[in-house]
Amino acid sequence: MNRILIAFLLLLLVPHNAAAQSDAFVKKLEQAAAFIVDNRLDEAEKNLQLLLRTAPNNAAALDLLGTIRAKQGRLDDAETLFTRALRADNQLLGAHMNLAYLYLLKGMPDKTAIELREVLRLDPENADATYKFAWLLVSQARYDECITFLEKARQSWPLTVPILVVLSDAYFKKGNFDQAEKSYLAVLAQQDNNADALLGMARVSQAKSNATASLDYLRRAQSLLGDSPDRLYKFALAASGLNLVDEAIGALKRAIELRPDEPSYYLVLGMVQLTVKKPVLQDAEENFRECLKHQPDNAQAQLHLGYVLLKQKRYADAQVWLEKAIQKQTRSPEALYYLGVIAQEQGADQKAIEVFQRTIQLDPSFANAHIALGAVYLKLKDYRPARQELEIGVKLNPDSSKAHYNLAILYARLKDPQRAQEEMRIIEKLKSEGKTPENETDAVTPIRPD
Amino acid sequence: MKKISTVVLVTLLILGFSSYPRAQRSPATTNSRVTFQEVPAKTSGIKWVHDNAHSAERFLPETVGAGCAFVDYDNDGWMDIFLVNSGVSDFYSPAAPLKNALYRNNHDGTFTDVTDKAGLAGGRFGMGVAVADYDGDGWQDLYVTNYGSNVLYHNNKNGTFTDVTDNAGVTTQGWSTCAVWFDYDNDGKLDLFVSSFVQFDKSQHRLCVDQTMTQNYYCIPRIFKPRPSYLFHNNGNGRFSDVSKESGIAGSPGKSFGVVATDVNNDGLMDLFVANDTVPNFLFLNKGQGKFEEIGLQAAVAYSDAGKPRSGMGVDAADFDGDGWQDLFVANIDQEFFSLYHNEKDQTFDDQSGEIAPATQLLSGWGLKFFDYDNDGDPDLLLVNGHPDDLIEMKAARVRYKEPLLLFENTGTTFKNVSAQSGSVFAKEFSGRGMAVGDFDNDGDLDVLISNNGEAPVLLRNEGGNGNNWIGLDLVATRSNPGAVGAIISWQASGKKRTRLRTAGGSYLSTSDPREVLGVGVSTKIESVEIRWPSGTIDKLTNLPLNRYIKIVEGSGIIRASLPSTDYTLHR
Repeated sequence: MNRILIAFLLLLLVPHNAAAQSDAFVKKLEQAAAFIVDNRLDEAEKNLQLLLRTAPNNAAALDLLGTIRAKQGRLDDAETLFTRALRADNQLLGAHMNLAYLYLLKGMPDKTAIELREVLRLDPENADATYKFAWLLVSQARYDECITFLEKARQSWPLTVPILVVLSDAYFKKGNFDQAEKSYLAVLAQQDNNADALLGMARVSQAKSNATASLDYLRRAQSLLGDSPDRLYKFALAASGLNLVDEAIGALKRAIELRPDEPSYYLVLGMVQLTVKKPVLQDAEENFRECLKHQPDNAQAQLHLGYVLLKQKRYADAQVWLEKAIQKQTRSPEALYYLGVIAQEQGADQKAIEVFQRTIQLDPSFANAHIALGAVYLKLKDYRPARQELEIGVKLNPDSSKAHYNLAILYARLKDPQRAQEEMRIIEKLKSEGKTPENETDAVTPIRPD
Repeated sequence: MKKISTVVLVTLLILGFSSYPRAQRSPATTNSRVTFQEVPAKTSGIKWVHDNAHSAERFLPETVGAGCAFVDYDNDGWMDIFLVNSGVSDFYSPAAPLKNALYRNNHDGTFTDVTDKAGLAGGRFGMGVAVADYDGDGWQDLYVTNYGSNVLYHNNKNGTFTDVTDNAGVTTQGWSTCAVWFDYDNDGKLDLFVSSFVQFDKSQHRLCVDQTMTQNYYCIPRIFKPRPSYLFHNNGNGRFSDVSKESGIAGSPGKSFGVVATDVNNDGLMDLFVANDTVPNFLFLNKGQGKFEEIGLQAAVAYSDAGKPRSGMGVDAADFDGDGWQDLFVANIDQEFFSLYHNEKDQTFDDQSGEIAPATQLLSGWGLKFFDYDNDGDPDLLLVNGHPDDLIEMKAARVRYKEPLLLFENTGTTFKNVSAQSGSVFAKEFSGRGMAVGDFDNDGDLDVLISNNGEAPVLLRNEGGNGNNWIGLDLVATRSNPGAVGAIISWQASGKKRTRLRTAGGSYLSTSDPREVLGVGVSTKIESVEIRWPSGTIDKLTNLPLNRYIKIVEGSGIIRASLPSTDYTLHR
């Protein structure tokens, strides 16, 4: 909370109507600001209260007092003071910025955006507000808006390196890897040791299937991570993409130590933990639960928690979380599929059939749903649709051991031992190629971080 | 189907019975929990400790043993205890000779070591023990499996045994694990199935080291080749014929750990469910005429649901949901889950492990048994666990080398984990392997014997299981096989009829008390007991006394109390 507020204090010292104030008044304001920077809040407040006694509507003093309230965790009081400050002087940039950050803290990103837009209206080339507004858009997955906004800004003034990184990230997240690459390289041309750009290039290279380049960028970035949780997080994402799972987990654990209240770190840590050969599901479960503790409505965390509980065969618990996830993501074929698996495992065959069919309606190319549907028909000895679904499953995913195994059972029951053995031989072959049932995570689609 | 050759209706006069020596019965406490209490060695006198021959090289046989048995070797009506030990092998020369152990039951909760006198010390690298009266002379014999050749000990009826392996023709090669006595051809004689584990000797030992460790660990048996198991036909003259090939058993080489003889399709012929390690399990369907067909794949009991062979170890069979069909259970290694295979009545199975699966995700299961620990009439389930790799904790988070026991209560259609409420022993951890169930104190509730790898065995006394009413049957076959394996026992109390197939084997490397304890819950009367013997004979008994053991002789209608001091003969 201190990070941005203190940074804005200097802005406050140049109030819009500074000329109207006496030197002594400004001196007192400066002193109060200095006290706040030093965290001597009582002394700062004493100064400000004295000033406000003589000038109750002084915007700068109100803003500084709001800063103190925010630092004290009294966010509502802070909001009132910032608002009063802006009522007194609507062009006070610092108050707008403080209010923007306050709204972010209060989980009101739309109001944050309004305040940042106001700053940019007053000062279109304000780099800080530009950066924060762009960052806000990316965090809301509004990549196109972010790109349009920054490309337009770039036409008027040269973007700073941090802003260029956000622009690159937006291109990357949008899936425009060529533009992302161009943009990250532009950053690196200005700062060849920019860790964010190096990490970005590591991920772009991965996306372009150039693992060697990706590893090279990742290694260059590694020594520059420092104790930045954001960079550690980005490093973990890139490392997990290169199957450097231990390094990814190490980085995420460090990021969590540095910023223990960030839900996405727990979410991704849990997801990375699921990608190891023999995942410890309970570890992943703890991290998804921790994520949900900080962000109870995180549908991804709900889905993943449901998934790991399902994998532990804790079906009742799994069902609760998957249903919560579905409430948020009503068209999530994965969540629906897992609910089908639960029904299947609990012997509710008709329900399982219905859920798998709905899953297939949502995503006809969902191989595991076809395979699971085939397995239910097989259990019911309804061999014709069983075979049909399993064959579709194999067509969609020829490496599915589960599909081949169920076909083997089917052929064995149909007294065709030769074809049954053929299917089992395919499984053996898949195993020899490292495509084992373990890697299939028991034929449930592994979930990987974005 | 078997023909019913004799129907005997026996009515007992309750007044004809008097109580006979047995431990004090707990008061009827149907609402209180049944618990298992450890009987310490200083109380029981069982001071023997298993030596697993642990070495820095970590030869695979070190971590697999060993088994145990409840056996009444002296026919005094009280369960004695036999424990299998390691011994000399091509990779191990003990500093002092290692011995198996035979402990005679002193009838007062204590035991006396009679191993040397009995001639059962052994000395080979022992694995398991299968107990039965193979020659029908009324005395229990022992077949001890080894890493190396196995030994058949014939009971001399005087407290001693004689090694008759060669004469009997049951010599084996290589590494054997489980064995089971059963009558596959219903000729009234007990045949013998012997599980073979992998091809292994010292020269084939491999150093298994993972990337991060400098120490050897126990190799996963995947790297060793499978071997065919043995089937020996009992010729009835003290000799056996090796019918492994012609029966079809040898056609399926495996890496077998556990075996149970049961009848999965109710055709009156005993089938075999065999747990294999890292290769598919086998379900040998008895086709009659001395032939078996391996149907594990189509029965869906061979692999995980993703088609992966698992590390099958302990097995058992029982009709857990009372639908008249035998269900199967197999324990696997950690992360593989254990499977409760529900019999779908058409030679296929569906894994319905329910609450058992999450409870066993991090465990590796060996000894296990369906038995009615609380005498409410249905089979419950006890699981003995322990990871085979003593270094596992360095490699896998949350997986332990020593693991807890688990007890599951049958709720009618599934199982509920009641371990936490069943005694402090369930909070402990063991390197569990073998497990046998038996009523060592003759109080009518089933106790438990656990053999641990490289540790002392654990004897658990059932406290409160006899709070419910029961009747114990000691079946004496005359025309059927001496173990009455394959007999179907039905009993009715308070209008509720229950049925139990007398299986053989199960658990891991171990043999349980051959008597059948039938629980009737709070019913104060048992209306009838019916025995359908494998020979086809049916004995139906009514007005039976509760809370005591009785001896039932096939087809003769003679019932006696099982202890010599009260050797009643009752007439029809």
